[in-house]
Amino acid sequence: MKRTSLILLIGIAAPVFQGVLNTFVPARFAPDLGFLVVIALGLHWRSTAGGLVLAATLGFAADLLSGSLLGQQALLRLLAFGVARVASGHLNLRGAVPQSFFVLGLTAINALGVATLNVFFTAGGGFDLVMLRDLLSHAVVNALFAAPVSRLVETVATSFGDDEGARRALRLTPRVRST
Amino acid sequence: MAESDRRLPVSLLVAGLIAVAVVSMVVDRRGVIERGREFPTWLGSLLDVAAPVQDAVALPFEAVRDAWSGYISLLQVKLRNDALEREVSRLSEENLQLREALVASGRLQRIADMRKHYEVPMLPAELVGVDASPWFRSVLVDRGRDRGVLSGMPVISEKGLVGLITATARHSAKAMLVLDRQTSVDGVIQRSRSRGTVRGRGSDELEFEFVARNSDVQVNDLVITSGLGGVYPKGLFIGTISEVSDPGTQLLQRATVRPAVDFGRLEQVFVMLRRGPTMELLYSTQVGDEPPSEPAGPAS
Repeated sequence: MKRTSLILLIGIAAPVFQGVLNTFVPARFAPDLGFLVVIALGLHWRSTAGGLVLAATLGFAADLLSGSLLGQQALLRLLAFGVARVASGHLNLRGAVPQSFFVLGLTAINALGVATLNVFFTAGGGFDLVMLRDLLSHAVVNALFAAPVSRLVETVATSFGDDEGARRALRLTPRVRST
Repeated sequence: MAESDRRLPVSLLVAGLIAVAVVSMVVDRRGVIERGREFPTWLGSLLDVAAPVQDAVALPFEAVRDAWSGYISLLQVKLRNDALEREVSRLSEENLQLREALVASGRLQRIADMRKHYEVPMLPAELVGVDASPWFRSVLVDRGRDRGVLSGMPVISEKGLVGLITATARHSAKAMLVLDRQTSVDGVIQRSRSRGTVRGRGSDELEFEFVARNSDVQVNDLVITSGLGGVYPKGLFIGTISEVSDPGTQLLQRATVRPAVDFGRLEQVFVMLRRGPTMELLYSTQVGDEPPSEPAGPAS
């Protein structure tokens, strides 16, 4: 419970703090901290069900503080959590470099998701050149911050656990299918 | 939580959470369209908590920024001061001439009469935070329902149109900027009265989309709100045409609009607490070289 509360606090504080940061730094040059927390949850949180609920909750909190529709970022956070969860079971995502590349790709998927949902649910257009330009810089910044955020979430998952085995060990080697 | 994995099939949970998110989006979309997106207390409490927290967190950042900009400003203050003094002299003279011209044509009285009839009550509000996501352009302001702020109210600054209140909590509100991709405003070129739609591009510029045939749109033309649609009052200054694209064989032509408002430096805004039919004359006095156009509303 303590662990969950702390993650919720960090996950909600992230977009609040970022709302201030983005008044000084253009959003495309700032990391999406809430998004990174959810990816780290996908990598490190032991319980899949608990992680899904946390990801959705943090997504709804981000929606409240953002111009998105209520549920839009929640849906994308669920996707990010799911992709991170599945990928962590098949890929070696231990270490800063693999995590950075993984977040780079996931940021692109997230941007495509935003554009797609905008087309379906709002008057906003789809993926365009402006979005591509923003994505390039934003993905790189996200990738740079991926490892520290992942470390923070991992620390919370291990240090503040109420039950044993709170931490979910990442695979060290990719799964190889036997022939 | 590990036990819940065994109790509850994860696939069922995923399906449930996705359904909740999608239904929430549909409901929220309807709220945006019907301008009834007032968050209940339990939901809006995060906004109400975030606003003062963001205000407090911003203080050290603002102190550093102000100190730095103050230092930079000091370096050039003498040169700028001389230039400004010359500019003030020139503008004072120009202002005097324009006022004389206005009085002579009787318009000044009509403007005063119009303001009596249509003046819109405005509530000053401070920006306490901007959108955390790079894909959306919205801001959080420190005034909410307790001060009469409701969804659908236009937000302006002394420079021009800022956006629209899209959601409110008790003590704070969320405003979507005109820069957001979801925003479209019916606009008109002040000089030629050519109509079109101003759309946000998600960047620091806007796009003016108009029918190429029979439209007269040129670089440096001023774009104002047309008042059609009833969301924004007529005559709010949106921006200036900075580039006009070649239409080719396309029916629709696009032009780039430089917004009147510098969104990077926006700190204080005004929420229009009700809508007036026209504000064009009030803004056209700032236009400069162009004489003010005729009032579109009834003048007494």
